[in-house]
Amino acid sequence: MAEIAVTSSQLEFTFDEIMTEDAYDEPLIAGGVRCHGGYTNGEYVSPRGAVRRPAIGNWQTRLAQAGEPLIAVPEKYVPPNYPSYPQAKFLLQEGIVEPVTRSLTIISIVEGFGARIREVEVPDFASEIEESVEGTALAHLTNGLFEAHARDEAGHRDQGGHKQMWEAARDVGLDKPEIPNDVLLRLMSGPGRGERKRLFPALSETMEGMITMMANVLIIETFAEGTFDWAQELLGDPEISADAERAAHIVNCVARDEVPHVDYLTVALSELRSRTLRSADGKQAFTGAEVIDTIFRQQLRGMATQRPRQNRERMREEIRGCIDDTKRASAIARTFEDLDTGWTFPHTDDEELDILLQPA
Amino acid sequence: MTNMGRLIARPYRASRIGWTALCVWLRYKIPAWWDLLLRRDPKARDLSAVHQKNADHIFDTAVSLRGMLVKMCQIIGTRSDIFPREFVATLSKCHDRLPPREFDVIKQVIEEDFGADLDSVYSEFEPTPTAAASLAQVHRARLLSGERVAVKVQYPDIEHIMHTDFATSRRIAVIYSRFDDNPMDFLPLLDELQKHLRMELDFRREVESADRIREFFVDDPSVHVPKIVRQHSTRRVITMEFVDGVKVNDPAALAAAGIDTKNLMTRLMSIFNRMILAYGFFHADPHPGNIFVNPSESGKPVFTLLDFGLAKELPDGFGMGLFELMFSMMTFNESAMLRAFKELGFKTQDDDNDETLLLIAKRMMSRSDTGTFQGEFTEEMTDEMFDAIRENPVVKVPTDFVLVARAFSLLSGIGHALGQRANALDAMGPAPA
Repeated sequence: MAEIAVTSSQLEFTFDEIMTEDAYDEPLIAGGVRCHGGYTNGEYVSPRGAVRRPAIGNWQTRLAQAGEPLIAVPEKYVPPNYPSYPQAKFLLQEGIVEPVTRSLTIISIVEGFGARIREVEVPDFASEIEESVEGTALAHLTNGLFEAHARDEAGHRDQGGHKQMWEAARDVGLDKPEIPNDVLLRLMSGPGRGERKRLFPALSETMEGMITMMANVLIIETFAEGTFDWAQELLGDPEISADAERAAHIVNCVARDEVPHVDYLTVALSELRSRTLRSADGKQAFTGAEVIDTIFRQQLRGMATQRPRQNRERMREEIRGCIDDTKRASAIARTFEDLDTGWTFPHTDDEELDILLQPA
Repeated sequence: MTNMGRLIARPYRASRIGWTALCVWLRYKIPAWWDLLLRRDPKARDLSAVHQKNADHIFDTAVSLRGMLVKMCQIIGTRSDIFPREFVATLSKCHDRLPPREFDVIKQVIEEDFGADLDSVYSEFEPTPTAAASLAQVHRARLLSGERVAVKVQYPDIEHIMHTDFATSRRIAVIYSRFDDNPMDFLPLLDELQKHLRMELDFRREVESADRIREFFVDDPSVHVPKIVRQHSTRRVITMEFVDGVKVNDPAALAAAGIDTKNLMTRLMSIFNRMILAYGFFHADPHPGNIFVNPSESGKPVFTLLDFGLAKELPDGFGMGLFELMFSMMTFNESAMLRAFKELGFKTQDDDNDETLLLIAKRMMSRSDTGTFQGEFTEEMTDEMFDAIRENPVVKVPTDFVLVARAFSLLSGIGHALGQRANALDAMGPAPA
């Protein structure tokens, strides 16, 4: 834990600097597992933040000074969690623990798979972007940002990451519930993965693949904010949680750790948006705004409409299955459905989605 | 075989097995005695050449005596955690290319089991088998309804041979333990082999396994398990739907058959992931001869799984434990790796030996192309892992893990032939459409 002072004008960092930890008074132990991050003056501090945090701030400031906006997902597109907090609380009060346990376990696994971001291939920026990327978040993607993100999600060496923290929150809040044995099957089933359709075939596959992946992760991370609120409310509810304070605190730690992920992805995509991209053969040029906005909108539509609808239908069916196994099945099912507030995506299929562009 | 034939065969088999065992033992002992005489450490000697010579000798004896011994060799060929890699590499080749038995012998089994003439069950029956293996051979036939079928028939004297071979092997093991001052305890291994083979000899179990796995994929058109004709299947005969197809590891034939090979390994891994990680019951012998591929209407591959004799039930929680192990290896999370090892049933003689378990994982990862675990158990990685386990006898490995690692390693071999990765973690999401 080196003491590194980052000045507000510094824009270049080494890999080791990006990985630098703050000095913690004590580590975070969640559910008996040593996790990343720790406490300073009793306050939780996220991992690998001593340099990463101010570095992202500096890159963001630079964008603002250049008058470039930041890309963001408008709140109206964020689908609510299903089952909602009142529905999930009702299920737990009725002794139906399995659906919530399954959801939390799947969240933990999916979070863990976030580590695969370290495998994202990055194009040769020098030949595929007109302008320089020196002193940007883009230039640091493979120089610490992806790796730090991967370690945050899945843990590293002797420290657990978000995967283990979600497991801990589940076990602390629900008092070590039995894990449904169909969790992995759930991950493997569902509609088959279609082949990714190229939107800009003239760009290199690596460039389009990287942008798509980053847009995808940014949308997931933004949507996850709703999941954090849901989980903190639910696991922090003393009427149903075995240790409300501790369980909610662990989820809160994960939520705080995710902030730099949203921030660096937002900054890097916005940096790319303000540049000019060259086609793979070098003969065509595209404005970054055209490429980023098109890909971002397409990803957002899929993830905010089709996917939540399918998830909702599947989970509803599973929950009904669990309810049907109880004695008061019809009464429970009725109340459960009454608590459903529903959700409709606010745009029709042919409408163009708004992408919120905030001042940096 | 007549009673007289059995009487003659029995001492002959026993003496061949005994002679082979003696030669194997002496090939290890003589150099060790020589080293002791010259005050050298026998443990320092490189035994690779001796292992190879002994493995070749056992292989020759097994192929010559056939039957149970071939099956035993196949099973030894799956136990990389116990036997040297020369044994595993050589004996695992004891596969399906064995000379067939005469048609009359096969016909007799069918007629005995059905209590009826062959002609009253099948309208056609090809006397020359399409494949002959250690326990049984397979013939093409046609039912009276006209349906084409494949008929797997067990050799009639196999139970008798099993009895003889195990009795002989047990005697040899007892004699060996008296003569060797530091004997390896073979009796538990023989017990395990015998139990395993008894199950495999009951074809009704294989039929149940096929039905069970077919049920897993009832909604998945990319997986086909041949239907069994129950009324014409017995303890020694299986009549099943005849399926032809391209061998999964033959890229030229796959292309010629118009099969879209893009993501073929991800699709195949997804099928085995579902069996191993999700359902906890799996086809434990995915060598290329047991997987045929045909094109669907859209050209996407349809996999036909064959031969469920080695299907295996995994304990509760095994799938999750294995997933956690692969995941923690991928993310270098050592504490999670240790938890997963223990969840899977790995044990060390003293509980403070966690470093040994981590060392095994590290050695395995060191043999991957990237120096990290990306989700694929390649042959080199599993070999390295089992070498590390054998060199650290404090570690006890669960048999289930050995079989699963072997299955993944066979799948990796198929991937290698196709120029694709057999990455189990990549195949964790829904299969490609």
